[in-house]
Parts: sequence; structure tokens; C-alpha cells
Amino acid sequence: MSSLKPEKGMQYWRSLDELAQTPEFQEAVQREFPNDEWDRLPPATRRQFLKVMGASFAFAGLTSCRWPKEEIVPFASRPDGRVPGVPEQYATAMEIGGSAIGLLVTSVDGRPIKNEGNPLHPDSLGALPATAQADILQLYDPDRSQRLVYRQSGQEFVKSWDDFAAWTGENIAGTGAGVAVLAEPSSSPSVARLRARFAEVMPDGSWYEYQPISRDAERAGITIAYGRPLRVHAHLDHAEVIACFDADPFFDHPAAIPMSRQFAESRQPSTQGISRLWVAEPAFTITGGRADHRQAVAGSAIPRLLAKLARELVANHNLALSEQAANLEPAFGPVSSEGDAFVTGLAVDLMSHRGSGVILVGPSQAPEVHALAAVLNQALGGVGNTVSYTEASDPERPSHMQAIADLAASVASGEIETLLILGGNPVYDAPADLGFTDLLAKVPNTVHLGLYEDETSQRCSWHLPRAHSLEAWGDGRAWDGTLTLQQPLIEPLYGGRTVAEVVAAVLAESTSNGYDIVRETVAPVFDGGDFEKSWERSLHDGVVKGTAQPLVAVELDGSGLAGAGAPLAELVAAAEPTAERPELVLTADRKVYDGRWANNAWQQELPDAITKTTWDNVLQVAPPTARDLGLSEGDVVEISAAGSSVELPVSLVPGQAAGTLTASLGYGRTAAGTVGNSVGSDVYRLRTTSSPWLVPEVDLRATGRNTILANTQDHFAIDAIGFGARNSRISTLVREVSIDRYLADPEVIHHMDHHPPLVSLWKDKQYEGEQWGMAIDLNACNGCNACVVACQAENNVPVVGREQVINQREMHWLRIDRYFKTEPGVGPLDVDDAEIAFQPMTCIQCENAPCEQVCPVAATQHTEDGINAMVYNRCIGTRYCSNNCPVKVRRFNFFNYHKNLEEVEKLQFNPEVTVRSRGVMEKCTYCVQRIQNVRIAARNDNRPLRDGEIVPACAQTCPTRAIAFGDLNDPASEVSRLREDNRAYATLVELNIRPRTQYLARLTNKVGGGKSSGRAPAHHGEDPTHGKETG
Amino acid sequence: MSTSTPASSSYLNNTTDDPTRRAPLIVGDNDFHSVTNAVCGIVEMPKTPPAWWIAFFISVSLTGVLFAMITYLITTGVGVWGLQTPVAWGWAIVNFVFWVGIGHAGTLISAILFLLRQRWRTSINRFAEGMTIFAVVCAGIFPGIHVGRVWVAYWLAPIPNQMSMWPNFRSPLLWDVFAVGTYATVSLLFWYMGMIPDLASIRDRAKSKVRWFIYGILSLGWRSSNRHWHRFEMAYLLLAALATPLVLSVHSVVSFDFAVSIIPGWHTTIFPPYFVAGAIFSGFAMVVTLVIPTRKFFHLEEIITLRHLESMSKIMLATGMMVGLAYSTEFFIAWYSGNSYEAFAFLNRAFGPYAWAYWIMVSCNVLVPQIFWVKKFRTNLIVLWIASILINVGMWFERFVIVVSSLSRDFLPSSWGYYRPSIVDVMTFVGSFGLFMTLFLLFVRFLPIVGMAEVKGVMPQAHLKDVAAQGHGDYHGDILTEKGEV
Repeated sequence: MSSLKPEKGMQYWRSLDELAQTPEFQEAVQREFPNDEWDRLPPATRRQFLKVMGASFAFAGLTSCRWPKEEIVPFASRPDGRVPGVPEQYATAMEIGGSAIGLLVTSVDGRPIKNEGNPLHPDSLGALPATAQADILQLYDPDRSQRLVYRQSGQEFVKSWDDFAAWTGENIAGTGAGVAVLAEPSSSPSVARLRARFAEVMPDGSWYEYQPISRDAERAGITIAYGRPLRVHAHLDHAEVIACFDADPFFDHPAAIPMSRQFAESRQPSTQGISRLWVAEPAFTITGGRADHRQAVAGSAIPRLLAKLARELVANHNLALSEQAANLEPAFGPVSSEGDAFVTGLAVDLMSHRGSGVILVGPSQAPEVHALAAVLNQALGGVGNTVSYTEASDPERPSHMQAIADLAASVASGEIETLLILGGNPVYDAPADLGFTDLLAKVPNTVHLGLYEDETSQRCSWHLPRAHSLEAWGDGRAWDGTLTLQQPLIEPLYGGRTVAEVVAAVLAESTSNGYDIVRETVAPVFDGGDFEKSWERSLHDGVVKGTAQPLVAVELDGSGLAGAGAPLAELVAAAEPTAERPELVLTADRKVYDGRWANNAWQQELPDAITKTTWDNVLQVAPPTARDLGLSEGDVVEISAAGSSVELPVSLVPGQAAGTLTASLGYGRTAAGTVGNSVGSDVYRLRTTSSPWLVPEVDLRATGRNTILANTQDHFAIDAIGFGARNSRISTLVREVSIDRYLADPEVIHHMDHHPPLVSLWKDKQYEGEQWGMAIDLNACNGCNACVVACQAENNVPVVGREQVINQREMHWLRIDRYFKTEPGVGPLDVDDAEIAFQPMTCIQCENAPCEQVCPVAATQHTEDGINAMVYNRCIGTRYCSNNCPVKVRRFNFFNYHKNLEEVEKLQFNPEVTVRSRGVMEKCTYCVQRIQNVRIAARNDNRPLRDGEIVPACAQTCPTRAIAFGDLNDPASEVSRLREDNRAYATLVELNIRPRTQYLARLTNKVGGGKSSGRAPAHHGEDPTHGKETG
Repeated sequence: MSTSTPASSSYLNNTTDDPTRRAPLIVGDNDFHSVTNAVCGIVEMPKTPPAWWIAFFISVSLTGVLFAMITYLITTGVGVWGLQTPVAWGWAIVNFVFWVGIGHAGTLISAILFLLRQRWRTSINRFAEGMTIFAVVCAGIFPGIHVGRVWVAYWLAPIPNQMSMWPNFRSPLLWDVFAVGTYATVSLLFWYMGMIPDLASIRDRAKSKVRWFIYGILSLGWRSSNRHWHRFEMAYLLLAALATPLVLSVHSVVSFDFAVSIIPGWHTTIFPPYFVAGAIFSGFAMVVTLVIPTRKFFHLEEIITLRHLESMSKIMLATGMMVGLAYSTEFFIAWYSGNSYEAFAFLNRAFGPYAWAYWIMVSCNVLVPQIFWVKKFRTNLIVLWIASILINVGMWFERFVIVVSSLSRDFLPSSWGYYRPSIVDVMTFVGSFGLFMTLFLLFVRFLPIVGMAEVKGVMPQAHLKDVAAQGHGDYHGDILTEKGEV
């Protein structure tokens, strides 16, 4: 028992500090885990390592023993009207690029499974772009950040929100000197309110807003033209002539959906004619794909083209520009539009439709070009009809490029002690010339709030998990200013918080909970009345009605325009790029946008609308330019500019401007997650603050390597025989005729094919009740891919990965066939211009289905309502049906594609659709689960089905409402009506397959009628075999 | 005998036609006993030759590869092959048709040539029938394993089930199941039944109990009585009559897999005769490929004579021309029909991405057999052997061209693709040769590879009284009346 005796022997001490009992030593003892503890550990032996790992695994299992703390408690008793397993929909919203879009999210038993558009929202109208639909996959992404991380001297510590609050209390206080916030721009009034609070509480702090892709150039251009930043709204429903200069209103715009729909409606055949779309652009966009007249123009030559148009209008058509714009006229330069049919034709067209024409300029053009467009719109009388303006929400803010440059300067000068990066990923997407990554290291305290532990997070001292938009309360404004509410559908899976919540916490606001913040923000909006009632109403609708910004009257500002003359003249005089000294045009990616959806497997596997490439970004090159440079499809080239270089594979795209290369941003991520890491190349490295979209005079060097692109459709480089056959088939597959010809001879579409009388081997099935059919209007479709993702989300369509796409095993039930149409006689590698035809292709549900006849086990069968159904249970996987499918829309599970899914990913599955096993065939079902749901509901109500009640996922989300679905036995149904339309035709009629999905031919409206690419109909007499097929 | 020079001077050369007498079918100084010795001697060899062991080891190893590949396939999914969306059938189906085609020669030789009184068939029919069985075994593997869910492949069979469901009788794939199944059954029966008297010979010559017992069981108590012979001959005739339509039907039905579909390049009425001609072509080529080394190795030159080989090369010439005619007819019809899809399918075959395969096919199947117009080549064993291999290469490519090139580019240009086999495809095919050769080697070692009883029936000794009748007549009947017993 000697140990209990008081120490009498020698005194032992570890350090002099201990001996002296200094305060430093006391503190070190207090701290339970000194930071450098791990460094002092001896290097682990293999046995030790295994012991520790074994224990870690064992204890890791224990964490799941904790029941998750639920704040949304389960029902003790079932509320009225709620049935377990029956999907419900809630209106909410998400923000993309500083504009809110309304969602209607389907939720099954408390888990959201599908994003759809909110019909009441002005930017959605019930539809959603592919990106916003795919965003639900981020919610269940296992790579999403699941923890707070604090990093110090190279070590990571997992912390809690309380730890963070304690940290902010110590480090972010006082007047905010040395504190800077770098936020993503947001339309959220709550964030704006908290930002104002930040300015109040911390007057010495600074707040910057940055996003890599913005409409700042337009804003700056409007500031030049009108003296203040205004928001531009184009009303394509009022436009008869639409001229796009490097603009892509159908994709690259917050109001893309309403504009797409307005345009589609303006193309419906009527005796008054249809609208005409002129597009000049460096690379094909989906808008360019719909153009009646399209000119491939280098990005740097767009200003000249617009100046030419202005000169033509002023000089040859006596268009009077207002006196404020007089100073611009010399800038039009000694340009001559002689021989330029695009400019002269457009000028005539605009002059003959004064007041109903509109000129749109894309966000990658310089402000002066936007100013000129505004001047022309004003002069042509479009303002107030085809173009209108509202006040910008935040008139004082500098451009995003300016903001990040200012921040960089402040950091460089050492003013910033603490930097809060709220959303965004500046380490990845800041302009390369700022050297943001190095600057960030100079800031002592950095905090990043992000959905992922991304490139920025890894370099910040704090990483905070951000709540997904479906997990949090929030608000935002649509492009027209309509207040939009965002409500959570699920508790944050990983304890994430929103920007507003974090700001409120940092400011130690009394209300720091998202719900209360939003209610506090919107309270003043509901002036008068019962707040709760208005709140519930707005929450139900997802929008607060009547909150759109009022249109403002505008007047040109002479002083601003006077200063724009010289820069415009400089832009107009820019040299044309050549194949030797090409320019590089950067674009927002149609799938991963600025890189934020890089870890989204649906988006990565979505074929690009134009190149049909998945899992990669490519360098788009015009075939003649590639020929001059000695490049072919898939060649990896190194592009260098300003000291950085990027390697990209070449993709030959006809319709690309000569001497212009195009690459999209958002790829080459290093910390996106397992899906997005090292997919494609990061072209942000070539981006500078001064010229964010156009990199002039890049150096191009072939690396000698060649890569296979994961394209879902034929590579452009194709043998002569295939090229010829393809070109000759397009006109019958995707029928197209000029509006003039169509009006003169409405039967013209039906005369485009002839075939012998069709005889069936089998007796026709009779349909007593409903029989379903579909009509797809190719005149409305713009190839935007929204339907493809909708189908994928609805039907649990697996993602197969890059290798499998290269093996041509992609699983999309619905694909969009993209055909280039070129002049006959031009070889595949000489095509310098082309038109595009899109054709959504999915199972066309043949009445006389070739697949059904060849299946040896009868696994694909006709249902009582005419659908060609696939019985997964019965399928043994002979794949004979796929071989015999004339449109090749059947998809085979070559492997078990769901094998490696994590539990959280399975939460996204639609429980109403079977998850297919390995070895079975699958295909479009017309969303049979939706049909059955509606049918059951109708039966319960003892009423017949109503037309339009059943909407397949693709039709539901189509921005242009190109897809109609309904009962063919009901002569009054929309689909029956459309199939009676003179434009309706069936594909491959001569095979006697009698498809239930028919197409409506495309109409063109070229000046002077133009030549139709449709096959010239041979005149014939009483030929009973041509014309429509009845299903 | 030297295989490097035409054996024109040798007594073994019975290819010279003398209008005054029919060429002998068996050469050399052979009598019934020497034939029995020659054939049974192979089975009775006291020590298995080392060459056999080497060949057997290689073949068994390859068979192992085959089953390893199949295991990998079944555990992982058919994605391990190069299949994809436009081309959902690849090497597996190509190999299936290839092997089924090869499996045509045996039954054709035993049944059709029997009914046509082609007495020269006797030397090679057993051999060819064996090859048929083994080819059909190889063929049967592929449709079985190519389905996505192998474990429910039995749903193809019309067996009672809890779903009360029949298979789909409209599907050519189902017809295939019946056609190949019937063919395999009848071929096996025919082969085995024809072998019974010879098995009995081996039993009677057995020196060990084991051998006596095994062959005793296999020969089903054959005692060579007149009654036995009578029944045997009748049964043989009936089976031959039964097998004859099957020879024509099985490949016709296999061709329906393609012809009944709607894919341009498949949907043609010429397919049944074209496939049957091609099958006979490839079957004879395979017999020649195997018989040349075998007869040399086991010294059967006197029984399987040069004249046999020459006759087979004539058949190859004829069927090769038929196949060539079919190729050109397809092109003519593609143009004549005015069907642009079909016209493209054939143009694409000849000049599209798979043109290389098409021209291999044409060179091997149409050009190579043309050398058989020259007798010097027909009787030169090396030339004949190489040509027979090239013909089978060509016939494999014919199936490849039909299956793959048609599928790869059908109606919608958007769904066109290019199929490449995976390494598993290649190894599975190579492995199937291992299985074929393994079975074949076991056959030559343990079973009579020449139908002794039948050969004896066409020997001069069986027709002493009517030398002029040699080569004519119902020789089984001859045997019965002339010989009485073997």
C-alpha cells in the first residue's frame, strides 16, 4: 500500500514548465487534446494500425445505434386525407444563378423523390430545365458534406455548430473590421435583409458577391444605354422577328422556360404566319437549332455583325436612332453589308415588323454590344412590346468580376482577417488571373459554407455543411421579381444550414432559424390581412401573388452612350480569328452549368443537346477548321493562353464558326465527389477578369493522343456511305416544311412518303375503353433535354457511367435524336454550316409491335389499353426485342446497375416503378404508374377519366409543351385532335408498325419561303397508301 | 504417303476416273478383317500416343477457359461481352450459327447421301456424325448462356408453370429451341444407332473385362443375327428419312431468327436455302479439316481415300458457289426491291465500317473454293486442308457480317453503332473449340471413327458376284444377301 503514502522520494518532472507550474503548462493540461498530439505519436506498426482500424470499425457501427433526432415527429394518428404510400406534392423553390425557380416536389412518405415545375411560378410554368430536375440527386448524394470541419496546421477536427458559434463569437465581433463575406448572388429577400443587418452591425466589414456565370454584361450595357441598371425582359409571344446575337434564350437565361414556351406558341401554324428566328452565334446552341436563319459567327465578330445591322438599318432603311445614340453611329464603322444576306435580310425583316421585332444579345458579349442592341430595340419600337424593363434589385452592386477582383485586392493588401465564403466555389471558378487559391492562403480565418467539401472547403479553416434547398426554409425572387417561397420537404440529412441561417448566427441575431427568418422577411409583403392565412396560401402556391416588379418606362441616356462609341468601335474593328490563331469561346455548360452539378450522375450522363457527349467537356471545332489544323474527332489538344494550358478532346461540330473553338466550363473538378472528380478539363484556368468569355488568339497544339468520347449518338466523323444515307433519311424521319408551302398545301407532310398497301399478319386488337397515344410536336421541341431527366427521375433509370456509354449501353428510355442537316454533296469533313433537327425518341408503342412478336417467352405484351408493356418478371433477356425494334429504344440491363448504390441514394427511387434487375430489358411505359394512379382515383370517384388528367413525366416537364398524351378512343382528346392535324405523321410507316406516338412536322419560316428540306412530293393521284396512319 | 505432293503415282490415289470401271471406294489390299483391324486398332491401342495426350491437354485447357468464361459471364452479366444497344446479339449468336452450320455435314452425309445411295459416304459418315454431335453441343451452349437471366432460361420450354403461361409461339427463337433440340436428339440417336454393330465388334475383340463390360453395355446386346441386321437396316433407313428433313429444317429455322425480323439485311426470303447451303459448305469444310490429320495419324488412308476428299471438295465447290450466288442475289434484290433501307444495308456491308469482314467472307467463301475447279488442288492435301480452314473462317465471318453489320446500322441513323467484341467474347469462342476438340479426341480414342460395317458393305468383297454393281444399289441390302454376317 505504499502507493497511497505521500510522495517522499525524488520529485519527477517532465519539463521546467511543470516544475514551475507556469500558466502555459496549466493551460496545456487543461486542453484535453493538444493540437500536435497526433504528431507526437510514434509511427504506427502494421499490427497497431490493424488494431486501431478494427476498433474504429467496431465503434463506427455503434453510431448507427443512435436514433436520429427528429424534429418533424411521426404522426401519432393519421391526419385526414393522408394515405401512407400515396405521393404528395409540395411547392418550393431553388435558386440558380441568383434567380429563384419554383418547384413542385413529389414526396412519398416524407422523402422527396422528384422535382417538377411549379405551374404558378412565372419562370417555371410547370416545367423545369434538366439541371433543376437533377438537383434532387444532390440531396441524396453520399458525397455531400456531412460534417463541420475545422482545420488547423494541417489537421482536421470534426466540430459542431455550437463550436462554430463559439468560434465566431471570438473571431467575428466588433465593427467587423477585417471581416469579409463572399457570397453567391442571391435573389432571396431574407439574405438581402441579413446582408443589410450585417452592414449595420459590422459597418467595417465588407460583402462581395461573385458567381462565374452571370448577366452582368447585359446589366452594364443597359446601364450605358439607360443610365441605370435595369433588368431586361423579352416577350417572345409578342415578337414576330427575333434576332439573337450570341444569345441563347432557350437555355442560358433565368426565364428560359417562359421564353421557350412563348416562342413555341408563336410557331404554331396560323394564317397570319409564324414568328421568324435569326441567330448569329459562334457555336450551336439549342436556340440556334431552332433558327430559321442562322449564321456561324466568331464570338469576337458578333459586335461587327450587329454594327453592320445597325448601319444597314440606318443607312438603307432610314431607321432613325434617337439623338442620344447619335454618338454611336460612327462606331458602326465603314462596314458594308453588301453580300451579307443575313444582315440585309434581317434588316428588311426588322423594318417590316417594326414594333414586333426584338434583338437579343447574349451574356458573353461586351456591355457596349448590349447597349447597341438596346438602342436598336428602342429605335425599332420594340420597347414596351417585345422588350420591357424592370428595376434591378440591387442597383449599387459592382459586377461579379469586379467584386472578386476587389476582394482579391483587399486580401492581397492584408486587410482581410476573416473571410466567410457562403456558397460558391471560388477556388475552382474564380478567374485564373487573380490567383485566388494563393490569396486564400493569406487569410488567417476562412470559412466556407458548401454542399460539398469542395476545392474551396479544402483550403478553408472552417467547412460548414450547407442545407440542400429541399431541406431548408428560404425565399427568392423570380426573374420578373415574383416572391417565391422555399419550404423544406425533409429535415436536413446532415445537419446543414442555409446562407441566411449562417449569417444570422454570425451576427448573433435573435432569430437564426430559417423558418423564422423567412417569416420575418415576408411579413411586410403581406400588407394587411391575416398573416397566417396569407402565409399558408403563399406556401401552398409557392409564390406570393402580385409581387412581380412593375415595368418601368425608360429613356436613353445620352451621356452613357456617348462614352460607349469608342469602345464599340474598337470591338467592331476586332480582327477575325483564323484557324492558325483561333479564339476560344467559353460557355456555361448545358449540364453541369458552372460546375455545381459536376457530381450529379444524371447530369454527367445526360447527352449534351448539340454534341451528344456525356461525361466530358469537349473542344468544339468546325470540321473545316479541324481539317486545316489536321485534327480529327477525339484528338486531344492542348490550348494555351496567358501562360496556362488545358487539354481537351476535339469534337467536330458543323455550324461552329470558323476559327472559333468552344469549350464549356464546369468540368475538371478535383474535389467534386466520386462522380465528378477528374471528369473533363477545367477551362476556368484560361479565364480572366477582363475577358471572361472570349480568349483571343489561343495556341493550339496536338498532343498526339486520341480519346474516345462517350457520345450517345454517332460521332460526327463518319464514313461517306453512312453520312449519305443519314442525310437522305432525315427528311422523312424529321419532317419539315416551310410555313408558306404548308399553308398552300396542308397535305404536304403526308405526301412525303409512299409505301405499298400494308397488311398485317394478325387480327387487330379491339379497344373497348381507353387506348393511349402520344403526339410530339417537333415544331415546338428545342432539344433542351428536360424530358430526358424527367424520365430518368420518374422511372428509376440507372446511370451506367462513362465506360458503359462508350460501349453504347446508356439506359435513357427517352433520348433526343439530333440530326445535322447539310447541303447535299458536301462530304462529312467539309461541312461548314448545318441546321439541326431534334426528335425526341422513346418507345413509340407500336400497335403492331415487332418486339412483341419475337419475344420467345412473351415478356412484352400489349395491355388492354394499347400499351406495349414490358413484363420484367417474365423477361429472360434474349434481347431479340431490341434487335427487332426499328427505333432502338429498348434498353438492356447488361449488369446490375444498382449494385453499388448506397442506402441514401436509394431514397430517391420512385416506389411506384420497379427497379430492374440485371439481365432484363426495359423501356418507356408511357408512365404506366401515372396512368394507373389517375385511373384508380377516377374509379374511386366513379367518374370517367378526363383528358389531360394523365401526364407522363416527359410531357409534364416539357418547357414548350411539345408532348401531348391521351386517349385515342376519345375523339375530343387533345392527342386525337393533334393526330388529326395535317402535320401529324408516323415514323417508318412502311414497316406497318403503326406507332401510337406520332410526330407533328416542323415548320420553317425562311425569308421568301426558303427551300424546304423535305423530300419533294411526287404528284400522285388516288393513292390510298399515303398519309396518316391510324393507331 | 507424302502429303506434300499429289499422290498421283501412289496406289492410294483412286481419283482417276476410268470409264470402264468404277473407282474402288477402299484402296489397298484390304479385306474385312484388315478394315476391322485398322479401325478397332485405334480404340485398342495399348498405349495412348503422346501426341494425343498433348492435343487432349490443350483441348481440355481450352475447355476450362470456356467454362471459366461462362462462370464469369453468369456471375457478372452479359455486359462482359461487347454487346450494346443496336447490336444486342454478337459473337454468341455468331458462334451459335457457326457451330450449328458445322453440325450439318454429319447428318447430311449419313442421311441424305444414304438416301441418295452415295456409297462413298460410308468411310466418312461416322466421323462426320460425331463431329456433328460435338458441333451441336458447342452450338447449344451459346443460346443458353447468352440470355440475360440464365437461371430462368428454362422458361423457353413449354413446361407447365404456376403462371399458366405458354411461351410465345410466334417467336422464331422458340422455333429454334425446338428445331435445334430435335436435330440434336435425332443426330445423336442416328449416330449412336449406326455405331451399335461396330461397338459390338469392339466388345467381341475386348481383351479386358472392363472394356468388354463397357462396350457390351454400349452395344445393347448386339449379336449380329439376321434379325438384328434386318431391324437395324430398317431403323437406319427410317432414321435417315427422319433426319433428312431435319438437315434442311434446322438451319432454315435458325435463319428464321433473322429472316422473320424486320431488320434490313435480315428480312430476306432467301435466307433458308442460303443458310442450308452455307451450313453444308462449312460442315464439309470442317470434316475435311479434321479428317486429313486424323487419317494420316491413324493410318486410315486406305479407307478414307483421296477420292473421298476429292468428292468433298467438289461438294464444297458446289455449295460455295451456291453461297456466292446467294450473296449476289441479296445485292440484286436490295437494288431491285427499291427498298432504300435494304439497299443501304447491303451497300454498308460491302463498303461501310464492316467492309473488312465482308471481304474476308467473300474471299474465303467464294474465291477460295474456286481452286477446286483444278484437280491438282482437289487432290493436294495441304491445299485442301488450308482451303477448308479458310472456308470455315469465311463462314464464321458470314454469320458475323449478317448478325453484326445488319444490326449496327438499321433504320434510325441516331441509333447506329459499332460493335467490338470483348476479350471474354474471344476467349469463349476459343474455348468452344477446346470443348469441340476434347469431345472429338475422346471420340477418336474410344469409339470406332469409321463405320466398319458399312464400309465392308461397299468393299469389292461384298459384291463378288456383281463387280459392275460396285458403287450402286442398296448396299445394306447387298450386305444382307451377299454376306450374311460380318
